[in-house]
Amino acid sequence: MIMRSGQQLLLPASPLFIGASLLVALLLNMLPISQQAWMPDLLALTLLFWTVHQPLRVGIGAAFCFGLVMDVQQSALLGQNALSYTALSFLGIMVHRRLLWFAVPTQALQLLPLLLATQVLELIVRLIAGDGFPLWSTWLSPLLQALLWPLASVLLLMPQRRAPDPDANRPL
Amino acid sequence: MPLGTLDRSPPPFFKQGPSALSKLVFCSALAVFMMVADARLGLSTPVRSALASVLYPLQWLSQQPGRAGQTLSDHLASLERAQTEAQAARQELAKQLLRGGQVEQLTLENRQLRQLLELREQLPPSSRAAEIVYEAADPYSRKVVLDKGALAGIERGSPVIDASAVIGQITRVYPLSSEVTLVIDRELSIPVLNPRTGVRSVAYGEPALGVLELRFMASNADIQVGDLLTTSGVDGVYPPGLPVARVSHIERRAESTFARIHCQPLAQVAGARHVLVLTPLQSQRPPEAAPPDKAAPKAKGGRP
Repeated sequence: MIMRSGQQLLLPASPLFIGASLLVALLLNMLPISQQAWMPDLLALTLLFWTVHQPLRVGIGAAFCFGLVMDVQQSALLGQNALSYTALSFLGIMVHRRLLWFAVPTQALQLLPLLLATQVLELIVRLIAGDGFPLWSTWLSPLLQALLWPLASVLLLMPQRRAPDPDANRPL
Repeated sequence: MPLGTLDRSPPPFFKQGPSALSKLVFCSALAVFMMVADARLGLSTPVRSALASVLYPLQWLSQQPGRAGQTLSDHLASLERAQTEAQAARQELAKQLLRGGQVEQLTLENRQLRQLLELREQLPPSSRAAEIVYEAADPYSRKVVLDKGALAGIERGSPVIDASAVIGQITRVYPLSSEVTLVIDRELSIPVLNPRTGVRSVAYGEPALGVLELRFMASNADIQVGDLLTTSGVDGVYPPGLPVARVSHIERRAESTFARIHCQPLAQVAGARHVLVLTPLQSQRPPEAAPPDKAAPKAKGGRP
């Protein structure tokens, strides 16, 4: 197997953990504080993370379904989050082979244009639907999502970083 | 296989399913179709209702941390504050009692006068209490979701009031919850009356500023800062006489025929928790006695 030098060989990802992480991200997105315009979309970030790391398990279809759920939750036009999540997931799949060769902060930098493009797509849909321009702080959201990428990389890969054969010295 | 992962099963070589691009095209087309179906054709109600019912437990769960925090802070609030609030509530009650006594008498008087003039009886609106579960997390619009839905008899189009004034109107009804568009939302307009002058107009929401705007009022119209605006009742939805907003800012511009008038909503659009859902006036009215005579000539464009 070709690997980046110094990279740890990871355990296989558990589908249960992937599902649970997406559900937790959805719950976090539903918290009352998420209605602030600058709040990063954690569900989009988690979906993008799994699309990049496990493209066979989480793909465009899952992103579309979670987008519909977010539309109902936000009582927005049905399909508008679905469209932006689909586009983000597609962009994620396009870059996933290249992206993992870079260090994590560089990955975040490379994902920033993707997140911004998704935000622009959402803005265009909103303008066509007649919602008008949002607050300027909406543009902080993709920036914060990119900043949260290293944290997501640590948290979501944690179960895969455990030792394959736990013993007394390495309990986890 | 994902890079650097010790996966036990090899990735499929030949059976890879549809390509990412075809999936993108399919899902985007579906999303665009759903948006059109939602915005123009109004076909999305079953999908929305089903998803909302599935989401309800999750929504309930996501509200619990906030609720717990509020309960805790309520418990920790000082006795003194509680006593002050009780005092204020008692004073308010005394004031209401005085008004209540007047209302009894005025209602009687009104009924007699109406009978005298053979006007139709005004029906008191029936109401249902509900609680705001959460505010829709959408930076573009101002909507809240209530904990009562079609199963509790909530109807689409019903006006919603809080303790002090009109807060909005029900725009979507799900089985277990319903959605209120607030008065400051861009989509909502509400016919109002200025009781000081008796002038009727329509107030539109202005979500960016969190106020209502009175459009198409002439620059020389008789309106002052501090004027109260109440529902006019001419729309067949809102019962007349409910307070809506207070005029907070008037800008009379020389270059424009119309004044720019902003009004502060009197309802707690950001902080209300308990609201009343009223039945819309139209659905309470008895059916029309007789259809208008078709043979009667229409006075269309008939100017003297």
